[in-house]
Amino acid sequence: MREPAWRVFAGEYNDAMHHIEGEEQMSPSYVVTPLGAMVNRLYLVGVLTDVENVAQDGEMWRAHISDPTGIYAVYAGEYQPEAASFLSEADTPSYVAVAGKARAYEPEDGVLFVSVRPEMVREVDEAMRDYWIIEAARQTRQRIEAMAEALGMNPPSEYKLRELGYPPALARGVVAATEAYDDIDVEHYRFLLREALSHFSSGRIDYEEDMDDAEEAVFAAVQEMEGDDGALWDDIVDHAAKQGLDRHLVEEALTSLMDKGAVYEPILGKLKTT
Amino acid sequence: MTEDIDAAVDEVINALDEEASKEEVEENLKKFIEYGVPVDQAKQAVLKKFGASPAAPSATEKKLGDVTPGDKRLRFTGKIVTVEQREVEVKGETRSIYKGIIGDETAVLPFTAWKDFGLAKDDVIAVDNAYAGEWGGQPRLNISEWTNVQKTDEDIDLVKRQPQRYDVADLRPGLSNVSVQGKIMSMEEREVTVDDEEKTLYSGILGDRTGKIRYTVWADMGLSEGDVVDVSGAYVKSWQGTPQLVFDENATVEQLDESMPVDQVGSRTMPMYKVVETGGGVDVPVEGVVIEIQRGSGLIMRCPECNRALRDGVCVIDGEVDGTPDLRIKAVVDDGTGAVTAIMNRSVTEKLMDTTMEAFQEMAEEKGGEAVEQAIMDRLIAHPVHVRGNALSDEYGVTVIVDTVEPIEPNIQQQGAELLAELEGDT
Repeated sequence: MREPAWRVFAGEYNDAMHHIEGEEQMSPSYVVTPLGAMVNRLYLVGVLTDVENVAQDGEMWRAHISDPTGIYAVYAGEYQPEAASFLSEADTPSYVAVAGKARAYEPEDGVLFVSVRPEMVREVDEAMRDYWIIEAARQTRQRIEAMAEALGMNPPSEYKLRELGYPPALARGVVAATEAYDDIDVEHYRFLLREALSHFSSGRIDYEEDMDDAEEAVFAAVQEMEGDDGALWDDIVDHAAKQGLDRHLVEEALTSLMDKGAVYEPILGKLKTT
Repeated sequence: MTEDIDAAVDEVINALDEEASKEEVEENLKKFIEYGVPVDQAKQAVLKKFGASPAAPSATEKKLGDVTPGDKRLRFTGKIVTVEQREVEVKGETRSIYKGIIGDETAVLPFTAWKDFGLAKDDVIAVDNAYAGEWGGQPRLNISEWTNVQKTDEDIDLVKRQPQRYDVADLRPGLSNVSVQGKIMSMEEREVTVDDEEKTLYSGILGDRTGKIRYTVWADMGLSEGDVVDVSGAYVKSWQGTPQLVFDENATVEQLDESMPVDQVGSRTMPMYKVVETGGGVDVPVEGVVIEIQRGSGLIMRCPECNRALRDGVCVIDGEVDGTPDLRIKAVVDDGTGAVTAIMNRSVTEKLMDTTMEAFQEMAEEKGGEAVEQAIMDRLIAHPVHVRGNALSDEYGVTVIVDTVEPIEPNIQQQGAELLAELEGDT
């Protein structure tokens, strides 16, 4: 059976400390997140922020893809020729969609690095990214609810979770997670979820017109000041403040411009237009 | 695969005289299997290692109603309600197993026979040394090569337990004694010969608000198209890759004085995991994101003899032939809980892409065949779609033969704000 492509925010995926290694050639491996996503395959959409060939010799492209909660590491080498060639030529920043396999690397006990090995990478538009955030948020919320239910059971039962209407793979993953993790902080993920969705908050809509003006002014400021190395964050805020823009609004505008991929951070604290 | 190991572990524990820990047996078994020892030999080796004489005779007699998951060395007598052969892959080898339903006066349970005992519907068999696993919360009987199966001349009055009510969308092969309400969407009559006897078989589509299913009736129950009925005591089997509802003389059908508008039947979008779990269905609506366009999408050539897609101008059956051109898309649609392969034929593809096959042929001539594939990817990859069609399953998964496909244009801002508002209510 084909493994489903889980929608898991980077903030949850990167928290994974447990993986199940396929015992045999045909049995699948899984990364199990603290909320019980049992990920063999995942689908994500985010902002491609940088790509680097990390191989000693030959090709192994490492890409970082950012979502509202964190950053995925995506590795494509000679066995993923299409993904590797896409990444090697991709513009940063840009919106990309990735379907791929969950990978885990455990250099020592208690340390687990998770990444994604792409099966498909494709440039997409902002609407597709926003749609993904909604999907990922819905499914994260379902995991949060399932986990909250499971933590109230003694012992957590796959069968009872299924009776409550949770899909079988989720019921299985949630029970596996309760066994693998000592303290599962459901509240932490509720917070993370709200963060991810703040992008859509109605407050933002009220302020949208102001925002458009602010973005325009801030973008112009960055363009004016960037030079070769980029403009300092603080300088941009000062500059825009002198033009009568609220500091808070300027910072929001900068974040938004970065989200949209109009502005990026080549080194920490410095910004350039794309 | 893990299911096979679990089954093997259970079998070994079942056959052992001494209590052995599951972990110990599993660890030993896996070690043998890792070394490439076939599962059957590995089981024997582990049994030997634990010092068992494989045939432990002291089974406990039980009525099926008393069987609980985990029971070992079971002895019972039961009547086969239904049985069907399935091919499964074990260690790269195809093997036949036999799945069905068996019952006695107290209960009806699903079973799996791991070898061919020549079982047929209505056989009454005495079973010695079986064991019970769990499936969907109820016991599933396992009949292994260490089980002794004898046919008897007894007859058994099957239990008349309270039938369990299901929505059509939840009907999956292996369920028995189900009760379901729905509308007879279509009906055909057919003469068939069963055991030299002429019988009339009625079949068609039955649907409720959650979905549609193919049914067969082995008797004239006075049904006609458009009836809304309550069927009790039916069972579900797998037929040509999709679930099929069967009612025979043990079932009752009641006409309901209810109307069910046709456009309300099967209109609810099904989560993918449910489609995968039930193994297909009739006219199933699903939604998901296209995460892959499979090879063999775009312009293809078909064999004029057998209609198979050609590879490099060659048909696997008819050799080198002059192909006839066709257009299709094979897309993997995934909603995060499961995935199906959606197959779109020429007319569905032309409509979706708003481009005729001839226009694609021109495009291919100018820019090469990859241009067509690229155009399809640009249109579909990462896009959410609503797909409707018949779904069928095989060992690789579920395929939907697409009747209609529509891109979904969600109101993202609104959905996001609503979700956020709901979250505020969560805590």
